[in-house]
Amino acid sequence: MKFAMLVLKSLLRSKRRTLLTVLSIAVSLFIFSALVSLPTVANHVLADSASSVRIACRTKMGQAYPLPEAYKSKIAATPHVVAIEPDNFFAGIYHEVSDQFPNIAVDPDQINVMWPDWGFSPGSVEEFKKLRTATLVAEGTMKRFHLSVGQQIQLRGGGYYPVNVTLKIVGTIAKGPAPSFLMFRRDYLEEIMGRPGRVDNFWVRADSSQAVPAIIQSVNSEFANSSAETQCDSESAFLGSIIGRFRMFFTLARILGLIVVITIGLVAANAAAMSIRERRTEIAVMRSIGFRSPLILRLLVAESIVTALAGCILGCGAAFALLKVFSVTSDVLGPFVGAIHIPPPALLQTLLAAVLIGLLSSYVPARSAVRRRIVDALRMVD
Amino acid sequence: MNGRDAVELEHVTRTYVRENFEVRALDDVTLRIPEHSFVGIMGPSGSGKTTLLNLITGIDHPTDGHVSVGGEEIAGMSENDLADWRARHIGLVFQFYNLIPVLTAYENVELPLLLTDLPKQERRTHVEAALESVGLSERMKHYPRQLSGGQEQRVAIARAIVTDPTIVVADEPTGDLDAKSAEEILTLLAQLNQRFKKTIVMVTHDARAQRFVDTIFRLDKGVFVGAENSLVGGGAQ
Repeated sequence: MKFAMLVLKSLLRSKRRTLLTVLSIAVSLFIFSALVSLPTVANHVLADSASSVRIACRTKMGQAYPLPEAYKSKIAATPHVVAIEPDNFFAGIYHEVSDQFPNIAVDPDQINVMWPDWGFSPGSVEEFKKLRTATLVAEGTMKRFHLSVGQQIQLRGGGYYPVNVTLKIVGTIAKGPAPSFLMFRRDYLEEIMGRPGRVDNFWVRADSSQAVPAIIQSVNSEFANSSAETQCDSESAFLGSIIGRFRMFFTLARILGLIVVITIGLVAANAAAMSIRERRTEIAVMRSIGFRSPLILRLLVAESIVTALAGCILGCGAAFALLKVFSVTSDVLGPFVGAIHIPPPALLQTLLAAVLIGLLSSYVPARSAVRRRIVDALRMVD
Repeated sequence: MNGRDAVELEHVTRTYVRENFEVRALDDVTLRIPEHSFVGIMGPSGSGKTTLLNLITGIDHPTDGHVSVGGEEIAGMSENDLADWRARHIGLVFQFYNLIPVLTAYENVELPLLLTDLPKQERRTHVEAALESVGLSERMKHYPRQLSGGQEQRVAIARAIVTDPTIVVADEPTGDLDAKSAEEILTLLAQLNQRFKKTIVMVTHDARAQRFVDTIFRLDKGVFVGAENSLVGGGAQ
């Protein structure tokens, strides 16, 4: 502890250089922490849904193709099924094209049975069942567009649903599939679309997680060889298939994160080498008055680690703040982007990266400085 | 003198290789420096004065021979043992002061004490006493850049004596100072020798030093050519 003063004073020797080094490390660790958070969050989402009793059924031909509405009653009759929710991906736009967020149309009867974990505001489910144009909106969306319960909004449709829907907000969703999200009634959509009987996906709830494989097997067999064969997956597998499309980007993100850290490590090494080179005489003086070389080495490395940790705190803080803003405002990049935050493992990786930057950038020049002959460093040869 | 030797060099030789040529900086030097004495080492440039000092402080090693300081043979010590030994027994004063620029006068003097187990309050007492003895009690919070050359050298002397070392070694301590400051530094070193019975070994070109030291050792081309007692040795008050 008594040497802390030496470390701090040395860091303040060239304030501008220390500040610039801290900032460059902060920027790199900001990018690093954000990039390594992507796959970690994806894994977290999958882990969360691993024990889910929900099953997603869509057509075997892919999500672009619908399933007949008539499947609902058949699937509902399957043993161990406690709820079934058909849904349509409406993909409506609120005001501007940039104002997109996931919005789906669902049957109102069993939403609280299907998604009891979504945190519907008190009384909102009942209101949703009563009013044909009712909508439940995620709290993130409410904040983002400054909406309030009781307000009427309009969504512009496109693609498979080229119609506008006018909806009345009857409640909020605290913890939906994305921070920004909206659901409204399918019967309303069916009506304005001329009742095509189209369903994009069926959500099925089993009475236990043990029953999930049997239900999947049963439903897939039921509709085998029909004009719309089903492909049912557990919620975890379903989300995994969506996230799987981004796997390559996640790998790329990890590689980019590593490149950024290595690059900034080299910059930090240069700064450390310059700083140490300038202090060769001082280092020799310290050794000549009794400081052991390993102690000086530790002090020099500690300076570098403190610099890197200061950068880490700044970088992670900025990333945390930015992702917090992201979670409320961003949906255009996909439903999972809004869920990104810096999870503890990513924080740990960033901290480790900071320590490694500090350690590796200073160790070689510091070791070289403390191994130099005192006489040579002091130029004391007569 | 009580007859004990602070420094003993026995047949010490130090050779360097510079651009494929062997340079004999010291050639079979044998000398003894008594305890509590103030010794000046003089000689022309390249005579091996500083090399001799480096060997006494253990920051250089003899090619041949034995170096003993305070009764301890130091030639065979490891680097870490030498560092510990220097911290206990050696106070070093350099020509260009070599203070740490980011530390105040107080912190510079405290530096060698950080290597001891002394608690903070006790360190403070020692630092204040050392700065007091060099007449810089009022400059404790000043940084080296805020001090004159003479004052910087005083801080360096305070740093050298703060651990109460066996021997204070000074390499051209007046080499970078004006005449007045040089006189003050020599007076100060002489006072330290007389009041606190410090053994002081000083390399110098400064002819004025002869008035302050007890003995002058003369070197020429790496060879010890003799010792002479100073006419006014210890005369400084």
